[in-house]
Amino acid sequence: MIWAIFIKSIKEQLRNFWILILTVSMAPFFVFVYFLINEASQPHYRALIVNQDQGVTVQDEQINIGSALLPGFQEYIDSMENIPLSIRSAGSRAAAIKKIETRKADVLLVIPAHFSQALLSEATHTPELEIVGNLTSTGYLISAVWVGEMLNEFMAQQTGQERLFTVKETALGLSGQIDEFEIWVPGILILSIIMLMFSATIAIIVEVDQGTILRMKLSGMRAWQFLVGVGSSQMLVGIIAIFLTLAAATSLGFEMRGSFWSFLLITVLTSISMIAFSLILAAVTRSVTDVLVVGNFPLFLFMFFSGAAFPISPQAWFYLGDYGVSWQTLMSAAPAISALQKTSIMGVGLADVGGELLALVFMTAIYFAIGLWGFQRRHLRTK
Amino acid sequence: MISISHLRKNFGDLAAVDDLSLTINHGEILGLLGPNGAGKTTTIRMLCDLLERDGGEIHWETTGELSEIIGFCSQENLYWPRLTCREQLVFLGTMHKMSAAAAHSRAIELLNMLGLAGKTDVYAAKLSGGMQRRLNIALALIHDPPVLILDEPEAGLDPQSRILVRDLIRSLARQKTVIITTHNMDEAERLSDRVAIIDHGKLLEVGSVDSLKQSLGSGDCLECRFETDLGYLLTEKSSPATQFIEAISSLGLATDTISVVQDKLLIRSFQHLEKLSALTDLAKMQGLEIQDIQLRKTTLEDVFINLTGRALRE
Ligand SMILES: Nc1ncnc2c1ncn2[C@@H]1O[C@H](COP(=O)(O)OP(=O)(O)O)[C@@H](O)[C@H]1O
Ligand SMILES: [Mg+2]
Repeated sequence: MIWAIFIKSIKEQLRNFWILILTVSMAPFFVFVYFLINEASQPHYRALIVNQDQGVTVQDEQINIGSALLPGFQEYIDSMENIPLSIRSAGSRAAAIKKIETRKADVLLVIPAHFSQALLSEATHTPELEIVGNLTSTGYLISAVWVGEMLNEFMAQQTGQERLFTVKETALGLSGQIDEFEIWVPGILILSIIMLMFSATIAIIVEVDQGTILRMKLSGMRAWQFLVGVGSSQMLVGIIAIFLTLAAATSLGFEMRGSFWSFLLITVLTSISMIAFSLILAAVTRSVTDVLVVGNFPLFLFMFFSGAAFPISPQAWFYLGDYGVSWQTLMSAAPAISALQKTSIMGVGLADVGGELLALVFMTAIYFAIGLWGFQRRHLRTK
Repeated sequence: MISISHLRKNFGDLAAVDDLSLTINHGEILGLLGPNGAGKTTTIRMLCDLLERDGGEIHWETTGELSEIIGFCSQENLYWPRLTCREQLVFLGTMHKMSAAAAHSRAIELLNMLGLAGKTDVYAAKLSGGMQRRLNIALALIHDPPVLILDEPEAGLDPQSRILVRDLIRSLARQKTVIITTHNMDEAERLSDRVAIIDHGKLLEVGSVDSLKQSLGSGDCLECRFETDLGYLLTEKSSPATQFIEAISSLGLATDTISVVQDKLLIRSFQHLEKLSALTDLAKMQGLEIQDIQLRKTTLEDVFINLTGRALRE
């Protein structure tokens, strides 16, 4: 008897091989996901440098040690392969501080205005460099030590003299203001929208599953009418999810700094984007069970690689405004999270997240086009 | 009028519909009769443009969108389980561009006609099988289409529902063109003005029930059921069955009015009663046991048997 049930069950599994394949490939997929996460989250410290050195004029010659030093120092740090630190020069002190506030960089090194002057003066007046960062962050502690030490080493190498400068530490006032929790709230808000993937796909596929799509097809309905109709109802679900998440975050201390309307615009656009993505999922599934199995793949990709659960900053292919487009942008949640972090934590206006919004809208249009085409072909075509 | 010409559909090597030509007149009830797998559903689905055809033409006399012309009730019940009867009728009506008010009054009218008035606000999932079938017919009729296509409307209906559905379909006749498919000759016979008999995707015969029956010749049908499968015995040379059939011929009944299907012998004649005792004697002589004998009117089943040599019911 048990044998018969076993055999029958095996047969059924094999005949449902699509689900079977997905089920058995889920674990290998996760191994891969964790590998990538590990790769992506290898500790890497990012230092910024701002050169405020105004230089000196000696015998009609303009000398600026700060800017002369910079490229070499950058190369020197990059050549240290065993030290996971990179240094980039930032446009201004204010811009650099913004980056530190949003965890895009760990430390800022400021070369003071009188740097050249102090070094070249006869007096033993050593210039004072400023190191700025969030004193409570370990990323800052490590990178501040490295940056200071390495600049010292580099200058010693160049001049044969040690300790040519002193260091002053500036704690960023936000150290206590924005904590780790708040940094994560935008990602989690977007995650609540990512979850729409399931409910939206199911809302669509249930018509296919129970065959009622046939009735709607016979009524002369067009695919886009159906999808817009179902999508709007999912919009509502999305908005409720966002507000519940926001309410939960606010009650635990999250403080939204940006305008409410930018917040609403970004979250609504993201919901539309996820609903459009659901069409693609609906096009490759046939039943609610399919959705629950197949949907895990994109769900985990979106969760782990769009920045919702981890900070990931891959190499940008090109820039749209301030936003670096990379493979991550293929998941529309990535620009959404970036936009939401900038607007609701840093309080910037919509104009400053134009790149993100453009990327988000563009990906949504692509999802919708692929989804509509696929859905029509798979579920509405007369075969 | 709907005219179908040289309709074809292949599924791989299988010709599910094979060069089928048929005209359906305005206001008639046409029954598509054939055994399971004959190609009825496939034909219907091509008619509704739910399936691409491999060949042939379908011409609709009525102009306009197909969605407005056809009301379709598929073989399997398709409904929204989590909507009440009224809600889904109104929803589908709205999909058919009806105003909410018109859809609502039409929904109530149909629920009354189909004996579902008491279930107006009940979820479709909670209805009995027969009620769900009736709900499906209501869904097909919501937009008051001039052509109603019902795929096996009586399948799975309890006798009570069956009467309701038959009355409804009859009441629609004349105002609407109705196409029903069935593998039940009784259903086809009671409902259809004309019956098209199809088998293996081919149209075998089409005509009014009476004319189809008359094509078999006049007279009633004597049906003898044997204990053994006569048809099987006949495949063997010089079996008692073969000798029995040969002997019957000598009774003076024309051979083409005799047919054998499995355990049944069917004889169409005017003179059954005179020959009855001779017949039973002949059977006894060959050692064939007659289980029962029935004298009845010719049915569509007989027509099908005559056309295919097989019974409609397998
Ligand atoms: N989608 C399909 N793919 C392959 N074969 C099919 C398909 N649909 C129907 N058939 C075959 O076509 C034949 C006719 O089927 P159908 O039209 O459903 O018969 P009926 O409705 O008369 O019972 C059957 O042999 C059936 O197995
Ligand atoms: Mg059928």
